[in-house]
Amino acid sequence: MSRQNKFIAVLFALCAVFWVLAAIHPFDRQAWLLENILLVLFVLALSLTYRRLQLSNASHIFIALFVILHIIGAHYTYAKMPLGLWAKHFFGFSRNHLDRIAHFGFGFFLAFPVRELLLRFSGIQRAWSFRLPPAIILAISGFFEILESIVAETVAPGKGVEWLGGQGDEWDAQNDMLAALLGAFVMMAAVRLITRKGTQR
Amino acid sequence: MNRSRERFIDNRFLQLALGCYVIFWIALAIRPLDRSDWFLENLLVLATVSVLIPTYRRFQLSNLSYALILVFLAFHAVGAHYTYAKVPAGFWLMDWLHLKRNHYDRVIHFAFGLLLLYPVRELLIRSAGAKRSWAPWLAAAVLWALSSFFEILEAIIAQIVRPDLGTAYLGTQGDVWDAQKDMAAAFIGAIIVALWLMLRQRHTMPWSKAAFV
Repeated sequence: MSRQNKFIAVLFALCAVFWVLAAIHPFDRQAWLLENILLVLFVLALSLTYRRLQLSNASHIFIALFVILHIIGAHYTYAKMPLGLWAKHFFGFSRNHLDRIAHFGFGFFLAFPVRELLLRFSGIQRAWSFRLPPAIILAISGFFEILESIVAETVAPGKGVEWLGGQGDEWDAQNDMLAALLGAFVMMAAVRLITRKGTQR
Repeated sequence: MNRSRERFIDNRFLQLALGCYVIFWIALAIRPLDRSDWFLENLLVLATVSVLIPTYRRFQLSNLSYALILVFLAFHAVGAHYTYAKVPAGFWLMDWLHLKRNHYDRVIHFAFGLLLLYPVRELLIRSAGAKRSWAPWLAAAVLWALSSFFEILEAIIAQIVRPDLGTAYLGTQGDVWDAQKDMAAAFIGAIIVALWLMLRQRHTMPWSKAAFV
């Protein structure tokens, strides 16, 4: 086993431990199952392609962090995550904002591997490698909102927005997408700052 | 790919296309149904023009790309004149297909993806250096992102201008999934052209000089 493979194995094991712990008595088993469909597909796709993609260790760490964030969110059906509830009371928010943090995390953590893949495979220049990942993140985020709306109408017709955990926010979809976009921007700004000083790979 | 640049003075096609659009635009600028809405809608035109004109000499798109952009802007000019919800063509569509609302806005979202994929792909290949196999899909992602970004922008404007009205301000006509449907329309439009370009790439097609193949 090469050094990097060992590293990936450790990350995978860490995620697996979190997953098993979160799979025990989730708040809402149906919601948990639904949230995990995406996760399983994502991990499956990644495990089939990781050899060919040759992502860096940093990318794998970011992906693992996002997966752990999602595992925790799925356990608490996002809206009932204790930390988010605490923030709701402490800051007087109208809703549990953990889902927004997860969307932000989606943009923040995944913009990095997306940029790496673009640089490696798509042939784009460095200057564009900071512009396109936020676009791809926002595109996926928009696609996810459409997917969610279709699932909601299928499972719970009529009360779709509430069922999705909108928690009374009529701009829920737009705010979710904005959170992902901001996350991607922050990550790209950070990468740009860091790579400017160091030597370019 | 390295076509010689053509000055605007020599570019008959673009002169004609732009001339047609300007006449069309002026005709629709006369007495729109709602002047303030017309102004708001035309900010988009202003933004597009203020990007495309200064970049013409430095980075010239193919004539086909410019033509597609102008066709899209012409559709948009019709929507702006009639505040979108009252476009006659939308009412015909409504009667014909027995729809509950005027779907002209959906048609425009669809056209956004359909018509603008080609210009964005050209930009990505020539400026960003994207591989031809990647370019249609990256272009689709960019258009999906712009479509999502537009929904975010709309939401922000609505909350600033009329916070009391909420989503009703955007003319959602009671549809809670309005944003999602708009985005889906643009997504589908972009996918159709991306697929077509991907399949076409296998063969070399003798295209006119106007096109960037």
